[in-house]
Amino acid sequence: MALGGGYFKTTYASDLALVDTRLRRVALAALVAALLVLPRLTSSFVLDLAAQVALAAIGALALNVLTGLAGQISLGHAGFICAGAFTTAALVEYGVRSPWAALAGAAAVGAALGLMVGIPSLRLRGLYLALGTLAMHHVVLYVASELQSRWGANTGYSIPPPRVGALTLRGTVTWYYVLTGLAALTLCFAANLQRSRAGRAWMAIRDREIAAASVGIDVARYKVLAFVCSSMVTSVAGALFAFQRGFVSVEAFGFLVTVEYIAMIIIGGLGSALGAVLGAAFVTLLPYVIDALVAGLKLQAGAEYYLFPAKFGAFGLLMALFLVFEPQGLVGIWRRVRNWFLLWPFRYRPLRSTS
Amino acid sequence: MTPLLALENVEVVYHRVATAIQSVSLQVPERGLVALLGTNGAGKTTTLRAISGFLGADDAAIVSGRVVFLGETINGRRPHETARRGLVLVPERDKVFETLTVQENLRALVPGRGREGLDMERVLHYFPVLADRRRQVAGYLSGGERQMLALATALLCRPRVLLVDELSLGLAPIVVESLMDLVRRLRDELGIAVLLVEQNAGAALAIADHGYVMEHGRIVYEGSRERLLAHEDVREFYLGLGGSADRRRYTDVKQYRRRRRWF
Amino acid sequence: MAQVLATTLVVASLYALLAAGYVLVYRASRVLNLAQGDMLTLGGYLLFAVAANVGGGPVLAIPVAAALAALTGFLIYLVLMRPMAGHPVFAAVLVTVTLGILLRAAIVLVFTDQIRHPAQLLGLGNPPRRLPGGAVVSTFDVLTVLTAAALFAGLFLFLRLSPLGIQMRAAGERALLASQRGIDFHRLFALAWALAALSGALAGILYSSNVRLEPSLDVLGLKAFAVALVGGLDSLGGVIPAAILVALIEVLTVRYGNPLLSDVSPFLCLLAMLLVRPWGLFGTREELERV
Repeated sequence: MALGGGYFKTTYASDLALVDTRLRRVALAALVAALLVLPRLTSSFVLDLAAQVALAAIGALALNVLTGLAGQISLGHAGFICAGAFTTAALVEYGVRSPWAALAGAAAVGAALGLMVGIPSLRLRGLYLALGTLAMHHVVLYVASELQSRWGANTGYSIPPPRVGALTLRGTVTWYYVLTGLAALTLCFAANLQRSRAGRAWMAIRDREIAAASVGIDVARYKVLAFVCSSMVTSVAGALFAFQRGFVSVEAFGFLVTVEYIAMIIIGGLGSALGAVLGAAFVTLLPYVIDALVAGLKLQAGAEYYLFPAKFGAFGLLMALFLVFEPQGLVGIWRRVRNWFLLWPFRYRPLRSTS
Repeated sequence: MTPLLALENVEVVYHRVATAIQSVSLQVPERGLVALLGTNGAGKTTTLRAISGFLGADDAAIVSGRVVFLGETINGRRPHETARRGLVLVPERDKVFETLTVQENLRALVPGRGREGLDMERVLHYFPVLADRRRQVAGYLSGGERQMLALATALLCRPRVLLVDELSLGLAPIVVESLMDLVRRLRDELGIAVLLVEQNAGAALAIADHGYVMEHGRIVYEGSRERLLAHEDVREFYLGLGGSADRRRYTDVKQYRRRRRWF
Repeated sequence: MAQVLATTLVVASLYALLAAGYVLVYRASRVLNLAQGDMLTLGGYLLFAVAANVGGGPVLAIPVAAALAALTGFLIYLVLMRPMAGHPVFAAVLVTVTLGILLRAAIVLVFTDQIRHPAQLLGLGNPPRRLPGGAVVSTFDVLTVLTAAALFAGLFLFLRLSPLGIQMRAAGERALLASQRGIDFHRLFALAWALAALSGALAGILYSSNVRLEPSLDVLGLKAFAVALVGGLDSLGGVIPAAILVALIEVLTVRYGNPLLSDVSPFLCLLAMLLVRPWGLFGTREELERV
């Protein structure tokens, strides 16, 4: 077990452990208990928000694995979500309604797309890779819009709520539990990836690809693996999105969605699973916070019209501010606060990393 | 007579924690040709960067001391301002614009207020090879030609003091000799003062009047050319000219033999 | 046949104007300005604003709108992009995305998303013209082609022959070395951004006078982006053949294929290029390594 606030570790096992000090274990147990009990304490509006945050967190965690851990820039995130959602819709269209089939199908399609984008990543790097993913995003959206018009669903395609065994998943409380549970699962998965062999390989590739190759890491394999893993999880998130909303439409998957997810991992803190979750919460809740602020200010009646572009702009502004002033994101702030408490009365100024 | 360029007790720290050079004081007088010698990692390039203002790019800063050029403190001035005042650096790497032709390279600069009379005609007079290769893309020049192009462009910036970083790096001895000769001619005929940072001490001391030796971020010895050439440690470790025959133990190695300097 | 060629030339000119902006910014700051499409919308709306609020007709309104756009580009560099100088490129690109979002939001806030026609405000008509070979184009179509040609000729002369242009190319290649040679590269980069904004705004002014003005025009920017990549992100000369190629494919797809497909055809060209020759038709391979 680690001592000294988590810094002093005496065994290899404790270095690897995800939750190491007693305080952390207690805090985690308390959090889990709070999440379980939440539906009894709050309104369904809050639960719906929580469910949205959970779903966003799944997507953000997947993107974090690709961009934060492995350092591969992807501008096609919305395309993967769209692919998962439309796979679900396609399965429903052709008579298959089982959620398991939908999840499996979405995962397969996501993996295939990830493979298609991953292979060019071996030749392309940085900006050029980002552009390839952006192009793929547009192609996926085109295919989706073709399907949508072919099914005659010009405003969107509706999906009936899924049945798991005898239980039909509908209603805020059910979806809250399902999504929060799956988000927790994804968080464990992502956090575990970070300390696994693949995670270390990805971080090596992210930091210095040539050096990683020269110590024997199979760069090609791990890059493709990063894309495939990330896109699989993202597609599954898309399928969940389709089931929860009960409705899919191409308009919901524009480039702005990709920007939102990138904002989540940047605002949260690049490379950190906790950061992805914090960022997802921040970005998802931001429009509601702005709504509340505006309602509190009691502006005139016509003000709602200005709200949409203002929300639009505010979130972009915040992302820019974080990029310039707080590159380590919310996790950076959290760590500074935590360090201040842990190290008091000493002050430790860590080296700023050169990257 | 006041020197053109002087460093007074300069200390440079990287990333706020690692001291690269400490208590470095040196002077470049009018029409002087000063050599700064040292092995890899001694801090020579950091010194040059501190003079020409490039520390910010590497998250380093001058934390004490000052750099004085023409009587003015230039700590932390922006690099292009320092260049325009007549303090021009010929860097060690990335010294030419590789996608531009030789002709375009010679025009890709803003001449400073340093001194008069250094126009294209006069400069190309020293580098006839470049005149022949005007239309060639600079990326395809040989090492020696590149070095000449770098020197020529530096001259076109009208320097009062030229800072040359590792002129001899990667060049054949005969090319090094001709380049060093060229530098001495530039000083003699154009009156430009030169600070020559070199690992190749022999080549540098062949033309310099005065020299400084740096080790581990400090100046450990300075003197005129004759004193340096005669100094035992310099001869042994920088010029490779033999040593005493009776050295057998590690304590005979220079760190332990040098007298302690208390200031 | 002649009509296809004529339409291709017009579409290509529009793309070329936008793509020039991408290349200029990339050569200077090594950043993808994903807000270039919003420069187009900005140009159109500036024209509209000047036309609606200040008299003087087109002779005054167009240059004023263009100058304001160039000034905006200058300011964008100084305020947003210059502080991002030490940060990784990805972050700088995201800042441009943010900028695009903010611009779009500001435009909708100020002008609403109603469709506008600035040319009408200026009293300019857009009569069709008949070309030899039977093709029919509008007046502004012709103006678009002429503007693109003039802009490229001007840029070529500037970058190849003038001292400032050579300094800009040098600074774009090695900013540190340029500052060692007395070149204030920040000022030159700001100029590059101003020129990029200008070319995007010109495209916007021409398109909004030719067709219509609405906030969603920034999608044209993304298509032009594919053009810039196909030509080679660091090659201004490559923009012209790439624009013609992509425009031709798009026009043919509209004519003989599916209109929805024509929207995505520039991206298919982009994907094909990335798989086969990532540095573009006329770009340099070394640029791939730089990023």
